[in-house]
Amino acid sequence: MSAATPALVPLRVAAGFVVGVALLAVAPWILDFTPYSHNLVTLAFLLISGAVAWNWMGGFLGQVSFGHAALFGMGGFVSARLLLSGPVPAPLAWLVGGLVAGVFSLGAHPALRLRGPYFSIATIGLGESVRLIFTYWEDFTGGSSGLSLPIDPDMKHQLYWWGLGLAAIVVGMSWLMRHSTFGLQLLAIKADVDAAGDVGVSATFYQDLVFVLSGAVVGVSGGLYASYFSFIEPNDMFGFDRSIAFVLMTVIGGVGTILGPVLGAIVFVLLRQYLLASYPDLYLGLYGTLLIFIILFEPLGLAGLLGRLARLARSWRAPAAEGGTP
Amino acid sequence: MTAPLLSVRALSKSFGGLRALDAVDLELAAGEILGVIGPNGAGKTTLFSLIAGSLQPTSGQVHFEGRPVTGRAAHRLVRGGIVRTHQIVRPFANLTVLENVTVAALHGNRRADVPARYRAPRVLDFVGLADRAGQFPGLLTLAGRKRLELARALATIPRVLLLDEVIAGVNPTEAVALAALVRRIRDELGTSIIMIEHVMPAVMSLSDRVLVLDHGRKIAQGTPAEVVRDPGVIEAYLGTSTEATAP
Amino acid sequence: MERFIDLSLSAIMLAGLYATMAYGLGLIYGVLRVVNLAHGGVIMAGAYLGWVLFERWGIDPYLALPLVIVASFGLGILMYRLLVRHLPRGPAGGPASLLLLFGTWLVLRNVAYLLFTGNDQSIRTSYSTASVPFLGTYVSVNRLAVLGVAVILPILLQLLLKKTYTGRAIRAVAQNADSCTLVGVDVERIYALTFGIGTALAGVAGLLSATIFSFNPGFGSGELLKSFVVVVLGGLGSILGVGLAAFILAVVEVFAILVLPSYLTSAVGFVMLVLVLVLRPGGLFGHRVLG
Repeated sequence: MSAATPALVPLRVAAGFVVGVALLAVAPWILDFTPYSHNLVTLAFLLISGAVAWNWMGGFLGQVSFGHAALFGMGGFVSARLLLSGPVPAPLAWLVGGLVAGVFSLGAHPALRLRGPYFSIATIGLGESVRLIFTYWEDFTGGSSGLSLPIDPDMKHQLYWWGLGLAAIVVGMSWLMRHSTFGLQLLAIKADVDAAGDVGVSATFYQDLVFVLSGAVVGVSGGLYASYFSFIEPNDMFGFDRSIAFVLMTVIGGVGTILGPVLGAIVFVLLRQYLLASYPDLYLGLYGTLLIFIILFEPLGLAGLLGRLARLARSWRAPAAEGGTP
Repeated sequence: MTAPLLSVRALSKSFGGLRALDAVDLELAAGEILGVIGPNGAGKTTLFSLIAGSLQPTSGQVHFEGRPVTGRAAHRLVRGGIVRTHQIVRPFANLTVLENVTVAALHGNRRADVPARYRAPRVLDFVGLADRAGQFPGLLTLAGRKRLELARALATIPRVLLLDEVIAGVNPTEAVALAALVRRIRDELGTSIIMIEHVMPAVMSLSDRVLVLDHGRKIAQGTPAEVVRDPGVIEAYLGTSTEATAP
Repeated sequence: MERFIDLSLSAIMLAGLYATMAYGLGLIYGVLRVVNLAHGGVIMAGAYLGWVLFERWGIDPYLALPLVIVASFGLGILMYRLLVRHLPRGPAGGPASLLLLFGTWLVLRNVAYLLFTGNDQSIRTSYSTASVPFLGTYVSVNRLAVLGVAVILPILLQLLLKKTYTGRAIRAVAQNADSCTLVGVDVERIYALTFGIGTALAGVAGLLSATIFSFNPGFGSGELLKSFVVVVLGGLGSILGVGLAAFILAVVEVFAILVLPSYLTSAVGFVMLVLVLVLRPGGLFGHRVLG
């Protein structure tokens, strides 16, 4: 519970995490996935990584970014260009894409000293500027016709485990952040940026650092995404809707929590695949309504709801146990 | 005479046309408690903000341990050993009492010999909040939150502690206890203190010297006994005889 | 030279439009400390309302003005009562209010899409193409009318804020809501009213835009950002400040056409937004709230 104790990972948490990841790793064979569900779960892993990384910024630091698509697109196009340029191993291309996106996020440094709505609105402006520039930079992004990668079914199949690996690393990082003195400082900045400065926490340094980390992870997931679809197009990769998706997934799941973005990304993928395939006209409104209800009734999203249910179950069992032993 | 730990020369701050602080000088010796008093709006808190780096001075210098530190950012000054508290306490509401102090213990004085996670409980013990470690600050009384504010500042192992009305606002019993705590900080930890305070008995009994500000200017400085007899100070507090009758 | 006069005239007209939008956003922020991210959605709604009134019932957009004002005022009151009122106040409510109003915007967009599809629409009146000669060039009658409304409306609003009891109460709440409660001002009512007035201005701005530009359910995002630029640049100190800031933005936008490749002109507003935020960070609107 207490983050002030040494940040050794409790055995129970570590064991649960390892078992969970291992189960997911063998799930395609055990559950005999169809190619469709195999790909669906892969997509979920990619979105989980992005949502968790967004949450470092939006949840831990309290800086809501509406511009993360810029980093996603950057990672996607850099790695796609590398893959098209010659026999570059895909993982290397993704990594380079992530690194470039991480460095690119430093471009937002001047905006990072803004707080609250100022920051959020600056990210809308930055994100849209980046989208416009890259849409017209045809030599790099292929303009509105986009870039096509050679279709490689083996690669798409393998992406399941690459995606799982990325998601596992990122969720692990999230846990460590939240339960270390590093995360404490982020939460202190979120609570009161001036008071944090008064006890020696450099808000600028941590915001830059977290933004770079977040950008790098989102960039890597953009690279994986490019390989997954074999076709990327700047208006989609850099689009405002994609930036919104990061926000929606995290808020639906539970902003500032560790499992929230994971849950949110899963729900997001499922909603998009099953419900919205039948009702494409309701897609925005449904997410908007979800957002409204979550903010008004359960600010911690699905994670908060689960927590509430768990407490309810415990309080139901506790009196029953007392009653059972007179 | 030994060099002062902290020295402030002709420090001034203007907000637009308003001169909030006007060429104030002060010196703080190691192990000293300096009281700062003055009517509302005299520039006391502005003085603190300038020394602690929350505001940039319009002109003037601050030297700490003989080195210029004027206009340095707050978080860097904390690492050097200057830390302030706020009149309106600002705990991190989303962190527990212990976590609040741990954040502070991570920074501050680099010469600290004890790692942060061990230092924080000790500091809580020192200010008398050890039994509240796991609670959230919202559950503390005002006096408790003031102790937390002190603990957070102390966790950075400051050499100079700037206390902004740490006693005002609490009930008399707690005021006495807080005053005793301030004295222990100086006596047991050897920290030099500048304190802004409205509670006169406390500031007069704790301070080695008192500095009086009015309308952004230093109007008197000396031992508590000297200051209370100063005609300028009496006038600043009571106004001239004609003004004294005004509401 | 003709081109110069042409561009200047468009800049002035655009400035009026921007000022109207920005004033609505700034008023809500100044009083409630909430950035209305649904502002663009209300602008879009105002455009569609004007279009429906014109297409279905043949009501001239300028005669429809009072209707649009009342309707978007009502929408604002509804948004406040149903949603914004339930947010935590103070810094804790910051991200929550952003997300809540963002969700509202998404819903508004979706409703518009369901009702009117995603096709581009515009209001074409009999005088849409009429123009009068001016300094050797021609000025669109409609654009003049837009400018007229955009000048008169903020002035009326300023009179309301300065002269009426309610207006003074709004300004007082902007300064210090707690003290207002103490002296018996119904702060909740003032908040609702302010939100309503802010959205009414957005609705009007939408209606006026619809007579000039084409629009679809996604319309309004650029308008939100531009309003924000104007508010940040001009502050809330005075109508003049907002007007001047709107004019600066409009001039930069319009004259960017001369020096920049066409695909980059739409980025000008965004870049200005970032520059303005970065160069004037912190209490951007804060210092002279509705002084």
